[in-house]
Amino acid sequence: MSVRSALATGAGRLAHWGLSSVLHRNASQLPGRLALAIDPQLMGELARKARRASVVVCGTNGKTTTNNVIAAALEGAGNVVLCNRVGANMAPGVVSALLPGREADFAVMEADELSTVHILPQLRPDYLVLLNLFRDQLDRAGEIDRVQDTIVRALLGSSGTTLVVNGDDPLCVSVAMRAAAGGTRVLSFGIGEDLGLRQDRVPEARFCQVCGAELEYLYRSYAQLGAFRCPNGDFARPTLDFVATGVEVGREGVSFDVSGPGVAPGSRVSAGFGGTYMVYNLLAAFAATSLLGVDVADFQRTLDGYHPENGRLQRFEVGGREVVLNLAKNPAGLNQNLSLLEQDEREKALFVLVNDNANDGTDVSWIWDVDFERMVEGGRAPLVFAGGTRANDVQVRMKYAGIDAQVCESVSEVVGRLSGVPTDRPLYVLANYSALFPAKEELERQGGRR
Amino acid sequence: MSHAHGVRIAHLFPELLNLYGDSGNMLVLRRRLAWRGLGCGITEVHMGDRPSLVDFDMVFIGGGTDREQRIVCERLLDQRAELESFIEDGGVLAAVCGGYQLLGHSYEMGGEKVEGLSLVDLETTRATPRLIGNVAVRSRISPQPIVGYENHGGRTHLGPGVEPLGEVVSGFGNDGKSGFEGCLYKNVVGTYVHGPLLPKNPGVADHLLLRALERRYGTAELEPLDDSEELAANQVMLDRMLAHATPRM
Repeated sequence: MSVRSALATGAGRLAHWGLSSVLHRNASQLPGRLALAIDPQLMGELARKARRASVVVCGTNGKTTTNNVIAAALEGAGNVVLCNRVGANMAPGVVSALLPGREADFAVMEADELSTVHILPQLRPDYLVLLNLFRDQLDRAGEIDRVQDTIVRALLGSSGTTLVVNGDDPLCVSVAMRAAAGGTRVLSFGIGEDLGLRQDRVPEARFCQVCGAELEYLYRSYAQLGAFRCPNGDFARPTLDFVATGVEVGREGVSFDVSGPGVAPGSRVSAGFGGTYMVYNLLAAFAATSLLGVDVADFQRTLDGYHPENGRLQRFEVGGREVVLNLAKNPAGLNQNLSLLEQDEREKALFVLVNDNANDGTDVSWIWDVDFERMVEGGRAPLVFAGGTRANDVQVRMKYAGIDAQVCESVSEVVGRLSGVPTDRPLYVLANYSALFPAKEELERQGGRR
Repeated sequence: MSHAHGVRIAHLFPELLNLYGDSGNMLVLRRRLAWRGLGCGITEVHMGDRPSLVDFDMVFIGGGTDREQRIVCERLLDQRAELESFIEDGGVLAAVCGGYQLLGHSYEMGGEKVEGLSLVDLETTRATPRLIGNVAVRSRISPQPIVGYENHGGRTHLGPGVEPLGEVVSGFGNDGKSGFEGCLYKNVVGTYVHGPLLPKNPGVADHLLLRALERRYGTAELEPLDDSEELAANQVMLDRMLAHATPRM
């Protein structure tokens, strides 16, 4: 390590110690930012600490969960893992997570899509897991074309990185095709059967990424994900390497059979949380850990002991009522959450929080691309509350979906208004990025983990 | 739906121009007619379709990516004469963002000048930075200021005879300099305001519906609706912009 890198590392660690031990503050960003200011090349230097391998996870939805499951499974198999668990996913967050300790077996890092171009050429991970691409934060990230271009450039700047791609997502497959043309090795995962689920709207990627013809689907699992092909033969779902079949999705969670290179026949994975989107997250995590030598039994043991504590499908109990908190920050994510609600046959209440702070995206147009109408079509619409800095926009959106929603300031206020509602009816709290943590804190104060 | 009393709308190329929740605009028009017992027929016009505009009272064009906007422009150039007669005959046309740019003589894409539909005397150049953020506009077509969001690299310049949609209260508008936003020409409304446009601006929605009904039936009236939620959402954003905005004009 150079003198400069050593100095940068020392400064970063000191900042980490000061923030976390002295000031009791979040130390997921600042130490990395400080260290990078001293040595901009530090990430490449620190990357060598991961003796065996490193993995980067990116994609619009599901990064944090997938990343944390991969890290937990590697740790469960007895490894030392460096990981940016709380989702600080730009270069400073990755450097902060790489600072502690002398050596590790693995580095497992989630990366913001646009940051991949800064992270990959430095970290040079063995695998990049690409989960999905959806429209998200147009004001900040720009159009999806730009996100795709950035990930392709990141891969071309990191020869030796294998792309593990969602083969069911035309937008990800387009990235894979372009990267493969530049020499990137590609493995794909996907669902190998028709789940027979009700389809949500497909706001993006209805067209062939090569010729522009409307894509045909043998079946779709959700949004634009499925067995797609271009009618002119320009573009199609690749032959899947890691395949989920026998998929079961319900209120109790998900389970599926997995097959893939080196995977024992008859392997099945199950988790007590999530809907269709979680099948993809878990399949991606399984593929990555399987490639890194974790067997299915260790992977399953990890899932059995996995209790999300980061507001992703986290369950609480407040005054005897089950409260489910989840992140929902774009149409695809919110539609998947509405599917989760449909899979819960109980009557229920729903609190939708939309903030428009800089890290949420200040444009909330996307709420009009969410299929809230589905909740009414079923006949028994939930009791709906609207919150966040754009609560009034949510209320108007609900009005035009045929739902009378009340504006509420906080989770506590919603809980108060539910006092006359039987406690066997759960409350779902769906919050976008900056609304999630305050809601989580409130729930932690009010009720126990379930 | 042409049998029912109501408005017939052609929504142009929703599969391409749908970047900013434009389906919300259609939903608002449909509901506001239904709440008054009026019908609303929305025909989604897709690539390859060639509907006759004689069958419509209103045309809606949304915003898309540069690539998609160009595909649409090339396709619409085929139907330019028909669009022109529709507009000159008082047909209602609402165009948002990219759709607004298409109405003019030209716009720029990647340093290249692209021929527009020349339906309204305006043209769009391009500059950096993109003009992004919340926007409020005072306009004669809406009792409340129009509030929404804008995100455009284009700078739109109106010809001498073209009235702007309104004056910018907060935000950038057509070019970030003139203090004007959008255009009004006959029954055409062009604007950079998405967010989408109509839900928080019921005055704009009703303006479009009323003009469409008048054109179809000669005279028309719209019963007032209880818009308290819409107006509250409008006011929240307006108050916030007025509190934070640097004063303009």
